[in-house]
Amino acid sequence: MSTVPPNKDPEPANLLDRQVDRREFLKLAIFGAGSLLAACFGGAGLTYFLSPAFKQKQDAWVDLGPVGDIPQAGPVKMDYIQRQADGWTTVEGRSSAWVLREDLNVTVFNPHCTHLGCAYRWDDKREAFLCPCHSGVFDKKGNVISGPPPRPLDRYQAKIEEGRLYILPGEKAS
Amino acid sequence: MIEPLLNWLDETTGWRKLKATLLDRKIPKGVNWSNTLGSLLLFCFGVQAITGMLLAMHYSASPDHAYQSVQYLGSQVPMGAFLRGLHHWTASAMVVLAVLHLMRVFFSGAFKYPRQMTWFTGVALLLVVIGLGFTGYLLPWDQKAYWATTVGSKIASITPVIGPWVGKILKGGDTLGAVTLARFYSIHVLVLPALFVSLVLVHLFLIVWHGIAAPPERMKQEPSGDWKAGVDRRYHDLKEKGVPFFPDIVFKDMMAVLLLFAVLAALAYFKGAGLEDMADPTATDYNPRPEWYFLFLFQFLKYIPGKLEAVATSVLPGLAITVLFLLPFLDRGARRHPLDRKSWTGLGLAALGGVVFLTVQGLRSPDVNVEIPKNPEVVQGKRLFAELRCASCHSIDGKGGVVGPTLDNAGSRRGKDWIEEHFRNPQAMTPGSKMPNFKLLDTEVEALTAYILSLEGGAYSADAPKLFEDQCMSCHMINGKGDDSGPDLSLEGKTREQGWIEIYIREPEKIYPDSAMPGYAKDLTQPQIEDLARYLAAQRGTKGSVTRVAGAKPAKAAKKGKAALGPKGEGSD
Repeated sequence: MSTVPPNKDPEPANLLDRQVDRREFLKLAIFGAGSLLAACFGGAGLTYFLSPAFKQKQDAWVDLGPVGDIPQAGPVKMDYIQRQADGWTTVEGRSSAWVLREDLNVTVFNPHCTHLGCAYRWDDKREAFLCPCHSGVFDKKGNVISGPPPRPLDRYQAKIEEGRLYILPGEKAS
Repeated sequence: MIEPLLNWLDETTGWRKLKATLLDRKIPKGVNWSNTLGSLLLFCFGVQAITGMLLAMHYSASPDHAYQSVQYLGSQVPMGAFLRGLHHWTASAMVVLAVLHLMRVFFSGAFKYPRQMTWFTGVALLLVVIGLGFTGYLLPWDQKAYWATTVGSKIASITPVIGPWVGKILKGGDTLGAVTLARFYSIHVLVLPALFVSLVLVHLFLIVWHGIAAPPERMKQEPSGDWKAGVDRRYHDLKEKGVPFFPDIVFKDMMAVLLLFAVLAALAYFKGAGLEDMADPTATDYNPRPEWYFLFLFQFLKYIPGKLEAVATSVLPGLAITVLFLLPFLDRGARRHPLDRKSWTGLGLAALGGVVFLTVQGLRSPDVNVEIPKNPEVVQGKRLFAELRCASCHSIDGKGGVVGPTLDNAGSRRGKDWIEEHFRNPQAMTPGSKMPNFKLLDTEVEALTAYILSLEGGAYSADAPKLFEDQCMSCHMINGKGDDSGPDLSLEGKTREQGWIEIYIREPEKIYPDSAMPGYAKDLTQPQIEDLARYLAAQRGTKGSVTRVAGAKPAKAAKKGKAALGPKGEGSD
């Protein structure tokens, strides 16, 4: 059994018992309200501003025509027009891809050099892809022969349906 | 540790002195919650600046993209609808708060010596806020935007003498179009905000310089002699006994700001900003209404005969603004209390009463045109139809090319699924078709299909012709069958769209108040009315469209006792 001590401590050790100074309270309230506002408004604003980072790119398969029509001698550049949503507009964007066909075996390359994105071309004499910017050179399978490119040429996903070639630009082949 | 850093900052910026001037300054006792209005306005401007910067990231100031960009912003961008809602409601709040702020200063005589310049900048700020509102609501390029601005710039152009030039300068030419939109956008996001910030800086400087006006005190009579020194002395005494700006006054401001933000955020979240149909200069069924804070002027014009139009649109508002501006010269002296300035107080109350009365009248006045809900997909489809130049080969209502089939009744002839597939791959559906494959996006296919189906109001069921026979033929006829006491409806679909017909069947008096036709809201169910409206919208005099029913032949469907609502995609020819 505990008994009440006869002499109470004259100075309460508990800090909570201390009256919060009015000025301190006002400052705290101002700071609290400001933080709440900043969190709500800032949260919404940042979500909006940063949203492109989380946006999934929606690609559509592009029809490049009958596979049989693609020459087999070496890689060919194929241009296509793709109707696609661009923000709030729809554009008919012109793009291209390099296509290497060996019978029904088709490899489609992203037309930009893997170094810094310049457009390369196929050189028949040297049997290589040449990049005009920093002299990157790739063989016809896209492997780096010389120069600064860090990796082989990027490939697009490709599929053949009913004899027609479809590619999925923007995605690397898995 | 931190002290040397603070000292260094003080040496380089003088912030301690600045803090003492701005935050520790004393505010006279008795300054109450109505004094938070100015801070609320400043907060609102901050909200507008930030939301405005964000909205501009998804906005295109040209008539062919503005509407789409606002649509995109509201539907595709996370928090886009909320931030646009916030911008919209904060704009309204700013007008309300600015008027309340002005009223407080007016009734308490706070514009008097030595604060006249604060008043001038304040009135200028109010005009900038109104200008921001006026230029802002053109930007979405919807019906409201287009028509309210048409009326607004017309008002400007009937100003005596300078009107025609003002109108042209405002629009950037003779017509409301691309130049107007770009001009309004620049004024809205660059010119007026720059003006606002400059004026606010002066306004705020003056507030700190003179100190916030103390509450007005009664004065039996106008003091004589050097009364300005007396005013200064009294203010000095009151200020001495006052409270520090920080934290006492800032606390009140902050609480008011928090409450305001909660209200605005709720409005933005639950009500949003709304977007009407895209601006259509050919529309005749729209009810142009300005934003509610201009409604009193709009309503006022209804009472003014045409000859005196300019008096109401420019002379009177011009006079009111001039009086407001010159107030410190008109209402002079030391006496500030509203009861010591009875005639000014009375004038203020009368003006306020008039504005409130006209606004309420304006809100109450019925719309002339009935609102007919439009299907946004159909609207988009119609636009695509024009954009892709479909009319080069196909005709609608006898207008267009003859290379491809006419599309008036394609909906009932082919059905929804067939049409969609045909858009995706014309040759697969019609071998040898000359129609190019446009490689349309899914949303575009859906919109175009909706438009084609809408040409006859969509597919109606087999019950619709029977309904017409039972309910309508005693007064109306189609193709010679029925009675001629009411209008012949054989070509109804050529002049009216399904939405209109639907409203008319349900509540005829809503469209023609003295219509002889009874309403069918009670006798028919809503699906029946819609069905009947689709049937009537299909009456276009096109060969074969009259008896066709989507998906199945009428007799068959009727025999099975099944209403074939919704096309099944079986081409019936």
